[in-house]
Amino acid sequence: MDEDSRIDSQTEADGVTNEHHREDELLPQLVAHLREHRSKLREEWAHRIQDAHLLHAMTPQEMAVETKSVYDNYVEVLETGSVEALQDYARDLSERIIPRGVETQEVVGIVLLLRDVLARSLFEKYQRDFALLNRVLDAYEPAANRIANTVAVSFVDERERVIRQQQDAIRELSTPVLPVRERLLVLPIIGVLDSERARQLTEQLLAGIRTHRAKVVVMDITGAPDVDQTVANHLVQTVDASRLMGASVIITGLSPKIAQTLVTIGVDLSKMNTIGDLQGGLEEAERLLGYTVSRQDGSAR
Amino acid sequence: MVQRFVHSRVANEAVADDIVQETLVRMLVAVERVEPGILEPYAIVTARNLVASMWREQERHRRNQHRIVDLRGPDSPDESLLEQEDRGAVAEALGRLSERDRRTLVAHEVSGQDTQSLAEELGVTAGAVAAQLNRSRARLRVEYLLALEPGGSVTDRCRPVLFAMSSGDRRRQREVDAARHLLECALCEKLSQPLLARGQRSDDQVRIRIHADADIVLARQSAREVAARLEFPRTDLTVIATAVSEIARNIVRFTEGGEVVVELLEEPRRGVRIVARDTGPGIPDVEAALVDGYSTYHGLGLGLPGARRLMDEFAVVSEVGRGTTVTMTKWRQEG
Amino acid sequence: MDTGPALVSILRQGSYLIASIHTALDDSQMIRFQEDLIEQIGQRRSRGVIIDVAALDVLDSFGSKTLRNIGEMARLRGATTVIVGIQPDVAFAMVSLGMGTGSLYTALDLEEGLEYLDRNVRKDPGAVGTTSSSLS
Ligand SMILES: [Zn+2]
Repeated sequence: MDEDSRIDSQTEADGVTNEHHREDELLPQLVAHLREHRSKLREEWAHRIQDAHLLHAMTPQEMAVETKSVYDNYVEVLETGSVEALQDYARDLSERIIPRGVETQEVVGIVLLLRDVLARSLFEKYQRDFALLNRVLDAYEPAANRIANTVAVSFVDERERVIRQQQDAIRELSTPVLPVRERLLVLPIIGVLDSERARQLTEQLLAGIRTHRAKVVVMDITGAPDVDQTVANHLVQTVDASRLMGASVIITGLSPKIAQTLVTIGVDLSKMNTIGDLQGGLEEAERLLGYTVSRQDGSAR
Repeated sequence: MVQRFVHSRVANEAVADDIVQETLVRMLVAVERVEPGILEPYAIVTARNLVASMWREQERHRRNQHRIVDLRGPDSPDESLLEQEDRGAVAEALGRLSERDRRTLVAHEVSGQDTQSLAEELGVTAGAVAAQLNRSRARLRVEYLLALEPGGSVTDRCRPVLFAMSSGDRRRQREVDAARHLLECALCEKLSQPLLARGQRSDDQVRIRIHADADIVLARQSAREVAARLEFPRTDLTVIATAVSEIARNIVRFTEGGEVVVELLEEPRRGVRIVARDTGPGIPDVEAALVDGYSTYHGLGLGLPGARRLMDEFAVVSEVGRGTTVTMTKWRQEG
Repeated sequence: MDTGPALVSILRQGSYLIASIHTALDDSQMIRFQEDLIEQIGQRRSRGVIIDVAALDVLDSFGSKTLRNIGEMARLRGATTVIVGIQPDVAFAMVSLGMGTGSLYTALDLEEGLEYLDRNVRKDPGAVGTTSSSLS
């Protein structure tokens, strides 16, 4: 198909009255051009990506597959004006490449490179008619910018989602409920406890008691540097709530400072089962389990 | 007999549609046949008739249900008496609007004059005309309902409250403390039913009357259901339900009755707000009542401080001899 | 209960009573449950009572207090009470509210509750007097 000559002849034939009709025709022409030369343009794009040292986390094969998809999606958006399909693809792509350490600027970079490669190709094609070139670029650029924007936003959204997920996972890891042996859970509390974390800890412990059918919990607070009154209250509530679910709590690693805080808020330490260190706590737990749990809150029957 | 009959109709949600506006709009078809000078009286008469026919229309839908309670035929003397009452009520309601309000309303609804040209005539903006029209319609609904209750004891507080309900303006409702007035005034409580049903966003607000033991369970279950729409964690839902249980019990035990309103919040954060109002003896010393072990009300002291511990925000306003309002909020932990 | 058998059930198993609450109870239903249960403990001379509250989605101050009362009255009649099945979120809300079950024993579920009773309740009638006098 001799597309170039067709457009050229149209250019010559067109008068001012046809202007409106021709604007409508511009994008389809442009899309046809980009489809026709897709292998060449894609290759050029891939070269530019390599030159710019982008996406080096990907193998050449992966690169070929992804650039092909991005290219086709790109041209489709130009054609339909709808970014939805591209959005889905971009989200999917982001999901695949984020775990491999691909950064936002790399993704934005490759899309801008593609925009540039295609713009150059259009420039070459229409350079003989400067007025037409201007109009072609006027039609192309807003669409191209919209695409770049869509891809970047999808990537950033996805990245934030992944980060949130990781934070959740870390938060859960920081209050692990460890089943040490049958019916026995150990809950080492490490790091600063704020009110929200203390609440999550309680929820996880209570769920853990049910899942593991725990009868004894050893809560080791050696690793908790600071416990204020609010958090101390949470600790006491955790002990009480565990008891309501039929589990006894042994607290180990209670520093004199935290003990003081507990006393300040009115906790009767003699009613809490506190043992000096984790080892002693585990021994006490085994004793309780072996002895069977006939004691609760120190009230012997 | 008539009184009971009217009440059953007014309280029906199907009537909730803006009946007066509807009838006026339907008059548009007749407008060209009427001479300009008698437009207004004509409007009043036609509106009356249309209102009456709408009542009948509605009755047809409810016929089977209706027969269970009332076996009279549709043309019984009561019916025509009722029609007369309705006609009178619409006329009276229109008569109670200010001259300017009535003129504008009729010009817009009956003559079909648009807000823009009304605005030019009145020398105000089109937006101001639209607002005035909304106010007039809201007022018309109130006056219409009041006219249907000729024996009702209307106080100074009633009209502002009913107007706030009728215009669906929540800020205004708060300003005039409408919820409390509805608890205290039987007339407004009754009249506000059709107004409440009108255009209420029932999805994010639930109101439970509290009188008996069973209402406590209903209130806490409703609170859980409403809060669940914000996807609160299960623990928070139980915490909210427990707090509602405590304050609802206070109402049943120590007051003549009240209500619990559960409302979802979007601003400043997502959350659920619970407002509990009662018409009880009031709490003389709120500070003391928030301390554990307060015994004046034999257990009231347990509910309030307990509920406060469960919620993120908690406020009590009480007036001795009048009642207590507890407002408490739980915010959704984001992230 | 006149509201039908679906709300609660009280079953006898040997010298134990197993009472299950199947749905949310309002205050007067809760009181009636308490009365029924205490009456049956007396009639059947039960030595142990298990109250299964797994179906309750809320245990507020009144509910907790009623369970404590039951435990107290059962103890006066020589029976040991165990509450089983308190859900994690219910346990959390109870302690946040500032309520507990006092000196009542709580266990994870029915199985644990029965095991507790088997270990802690003397079943031979001769020992009953000793147990109750030491507790009162
Ligand atoms: Zn009133």
